[in-house]
Amino acid sequence: MSEEKTLKCARCGETLVLRQVRFSYMNRSFGHEVPTCPKCGRPYISRALAEGKMAEVEVMLEDK
Amino acid sequence: MELLRKTRSVCPVCLQNVPAELRRTAEGRVLLQKSCPEHGAFSCAVWQGKADFGAWSAGSAPLPAGAGETCPAGCGLCPQHETDTCCVVLEVTRRCNLRCRYCFADGGAQTPDVPLETLKAAAADIAARCGGPLLQLSGGEPTLRDDLPELVRAAKAAGCSYVQLNTNGLRLAREPAYAAALAEAGLDIVFLQFDGTKNEIYQALRGAALLEEKLEAIRVCAALGLGVTLVPTVVRGVNDDDLGALVDLAKSLLPGVRGIHFQPVSFFGRFPAGAENSERYTLDALMWDLSRQAGIPMEAFLPSRCDHPLCGFHAAFLLEADGSLQPLSGGARAPGRCSARENREYVARRWRGGPATSPPEEGTSDFDRFLYRVRHESLTLSSMAFQDAENLNIERLHRCSLHVYDAGRLKPFCAHYLSPISQAE
Repeated sequence: MSEEKTLKCARCGETLVLRQVRFSYMNRSFGHEVPTCPKCGRPYISRALAEGKMAEVEVMLEDK
Repeated sequence: MELLRKTRSVCPVCLQNVPAELRRTAEGRVLLQKSCPEHGAFSCAVWQGKADFGAWSAGSAPLPAGAGETCPAGCGLCPQHETDTCCVVLEVTRRCNLRCRYCFADGGAQTPDVPLETLKAAAADIAARCGGPLLQLSGGEPTLRDDLPELVRAAKAAGCSYVQLNTNGLRLAREPAYAAALAEAGLDIVFLQFDGTKNEIYQALRGAALLEEKLEAIRVCAALGLGVTLVPTVVRGVNDDDLGALVDLAKSLLPGVRGIHFQPVSFFGRFPAGAENSERYTLDALMWDLSRQAGIPMEAFLPSRCDHPLCGFHAAFLLEADGSLQPLSGGARAPGRCSARENREYVARRWRGGPATSPPEEGTSDFDRFLYRVRHESLTLSSMAFQDAENLNIERLHRCSLHVYDAGRLKPFCAHYLSPISQAE
């Protein structure tokens, strides 16, 4: 997480801060803290999160 | 009666391939009708009109012209077969410690077991040919072999992605050390013959009061992190009124129990004479009864997308605090077909066990909480409706992904175990 704390928003130049973001998929909603731009609100989804827990949750929600 | 489909089947007396038709009655029942030049006409209910037959079987297509006219004689997967292998059944013994009223394999023969090295070679052949399949060790009763853990280990090493044990569970209950050896060898899934919640059911189907030992087998497996799927053979008039109680029991046994895989009785191997007329139980009747008894909407049940839609259903649920089961995927029906590999990964996700973990702390991610709930509080209900000589529809057989390894050949399950069952009407 210390690495993520140094991230800056490509659009605004602001340093990202951890914020609770809601993710929706297949009629379910999940809250998870990710680095987010305090100005424009765009979240940063790390590759580790996308290919890790998020992918795990997706596959559990999907039918075969 | 309305003609729905032309297909092929067999004469239930001589097993000769014959043309067949699916016809719907005014009441919505669907019959498979056929005629053998030698043994006469036959009609068998394949749908009781408890659900929309057309909507349920929408993902299927008729046999191409000229196809299926020699099936299943000389069966082994051939260019006409439409589906790759998801699961391979490997019979490891003919011996059994029960003498059940129904047994697809007609187990119990006191023939010598196949040598371990032969089975290891078979597992390696299966792994190489089927792209890392789910291997089901079956029998007879496979746990009568002392060397089964060694076979499990060899099968995993050879490349079988998952190994499943098809068992009555008696030895697992009586010898936890044996179960531990199987777990240590890499066994993934225990497919536990489990017909219901009352001893009368076991007495009727298995000839003994086995409930307590079955529950003990579940406790042993759960302690080892082995995922257990309860596998009831459902027979009309015996346990078709116990489906809701079985679901309730399964809920109380999470997460050791991962699912229930209902098998409406089929008439091959060993079965009582004449039973096919009074005890036949169609897939839609099973879903209807399950829906009523367990409080699950019919819409939650989804047709098989790998095998033929008439071959089974599946539905995954989360257990809510009020005891209800809520569909995990919102009951959405995905379009098209899924591959045998996708099907295998799905069933492995649903049926494998794992070590128990502590619930995530309050305030942590919903992703963590959800994944914990899926592991500890989800239940999968599924079914496979095997075919026998009366209701065999070769259109369905061509889509089969459950194959039996028979002396180097891979044969659709219902072709392998097909046996003559009745006299002409």
